[in-house]
Amino acid sequence: MRQFLSERLPLEAFSAHLRKPLPKHINLLFSLGSLAMFLLLLQAATGAFLAFYYSPSPEHAHNAVTYISEEVPFGAFVRGLHHWGASAMVIIVVLHLLRVVLYSSYKAPRELTWIFGVLLLLIVLGFGFTGYLLPWDEKAYWATVVGVEIASTAPGLGDFVAKVMRGGTEIGAVTLSRFYALHTIWLPWLVFGLVGVHLFFVRYYGSSGTPKNTPEEMKTGKPFYPHQVFEDAVGMLILFVILAVVALFVPVPLEDVADPTNADYDPRPEWYFLFLFQLLKYFQGPFEVIGTFVIPTVGMLLLLFLPFLDRSERAVLWKRPIALTVTSVCVVGIVVLTILGGTSKKLETTDAAVQETSQPTEQIQGATTSDTETEEVEEGEAVFDFQLTEEEIEGARAVEESQ
Amino acid sequence: MQKKGRRSFLEIATAFIGGVLSLAAGIPLIGFAISPAFKKGESKWVDLGLADRLKNSRFKKVDYTFTAKDGWVKATKKRSVYVTDAGNGEWSVFSRVCSHLGCLVRWDESKESFLCPCHGAIFDKTGAVVAGPPPEPLQKLETKVEAGILYVKET
Repeated sequence: MRQFLSERLPLEAFSAHLRKPLPKHINLLFSLGSLAMFLLLLQAATGAFLAFYYSPSPEHAHNAVTYISEEVPFGAFVRGLHHWGASAMVIIVVLHLLRVVLYSSYKAPRELTWIFGVLLLLIVLGFGFTGYLLPWDEKAYWATVVGVEIASTAPGLGDFVAKVMRGGTEIGAVTLSRFYALHTIWLPWLVFGLVGVHLFFVRYYGSSGTPKNTPEEMKTGKPFYPHQVFEDAVGMLILFVILAVVALFVPVPLEDVADPTNADYDPRPEWYFLFLFQLLKYFQGPFEVIGTFVIPTVGMLLLLFLPFLDRSERAVLWKRPIALTVTSVCVVGIVVLTILGGTSKKLETTDAAVQETSQPTEQIQGATTSDTETEEVEEGEAVFDFQLTEEEIEGARAVEESQ
Repeated sequence: MQKKGRRSFLEIATAFIGGVLSLAAGIPLIGFAISPAFKKGESKWVDLGLADRLKNSRFKKVDYTFTAKDGWVKATKKRSVYVTDAGNGEWSVFSRVCSHLGCLVRWDESKESFLCPCHGAIFDKTGAVVAGPPPEPLQKLETKVEAGILYVKET
């Protein structure tokens, strides 16, 4: 078999390429990229299996997710792996990015590797955003409402972009099917394409190693295969065990089905968007767009073009005072905003009353029913529903005409 | 020289064919995807109930439903508004959608304000912004009373 393949494919060249030596000075942090790749494959696998049972429509989505979680064998586990895997992906990708910043690995000739890496980070966040609408619960609905509204504040095309995202003027069936298509078809195509390019650059330029490597030491380390691959595999195993334990013992939250009129719900995004949620509180009135559009866009552009902005010599982060300061401010800022967003108090209003649902049908010709219900409301605010049936409206009109 | 001219022609012709194919497939596909953004929503009057039952100087939180097309689905849309006649028969119906980023506001009787649970917006009883990020006041819905029934214009 091997001979058959080697006569037809450049297996020897491929094997030699895999065994190319790495830089002498390299450490465990250089496995983060492989861990991100592993998580991507895990997300793809668990997502593909979840799709067997999921139905992207407002009528069925929540029930489908409940069914997956409660009735399908291993359903809660598979969903848990997918849910917690998404959070792990964000953590690993950000740590990978910080490792690259720490060792200034983005410097020439690896600028393109960095740019495609930042694009991949954006896609990971895109996966998170499109994914958490899919359970169609309260959190899904309201986080998406806020997310799409943020897009709508972009100057010029914001409103148009928001309508395209929603597939109309409000979140509904079209939005859910769009987000599902983006989450399961568009973004996976894009991510695997970009990962392919990113990996090509990684292999083409070789590992950057730490800045400690002299030019001579860049090719005197261990071979990539099997040494580095083995270390990566051990990392993947540990990561999988952690995720499996979390998926087994920490149930994935599923709130009540989305209700566009539920004002008692305090919308909060996933933890990795909490910093943005908190940031938006500080820009008021005409300055709103600074929080919703200017800071995120400028921040992303600065990150994207970092290799062209930081022209200093390659060195570890603490030997680059400006880079160290900027990175520290950004990291501390994001962590503090995330904590503030996560611990912000839920709104309490004072208007204790009862909920009433009534049909004042006795006053109207054509009325068919007469219901009066009283129901306690958890948050204590009175809700009235006096809407009339078609017959009751006709009856009221008849009464007016007869007078 | 002749060969070079022929090569340039082939390069340009190939790029041209590629461009034509991209446009021929791309325009309808993009139009297909973004078309909902150009659809104009229909406005309609929706009843909130008998005006007499809704009369109240305080704000009442009123939920209502109406049917509307959501893509291929004829869906029952739910809405929630705050209604008051301020005790003088002049109806004020405020959308509960915060003008900042779309969360639903709540009326706080003791503060006489609408509070948003998301980013801390505060609106007064006329819907004007008192504090927080919103750039605009709460949306006040158009109303009419016919045959003793209060209607709001749903857009």
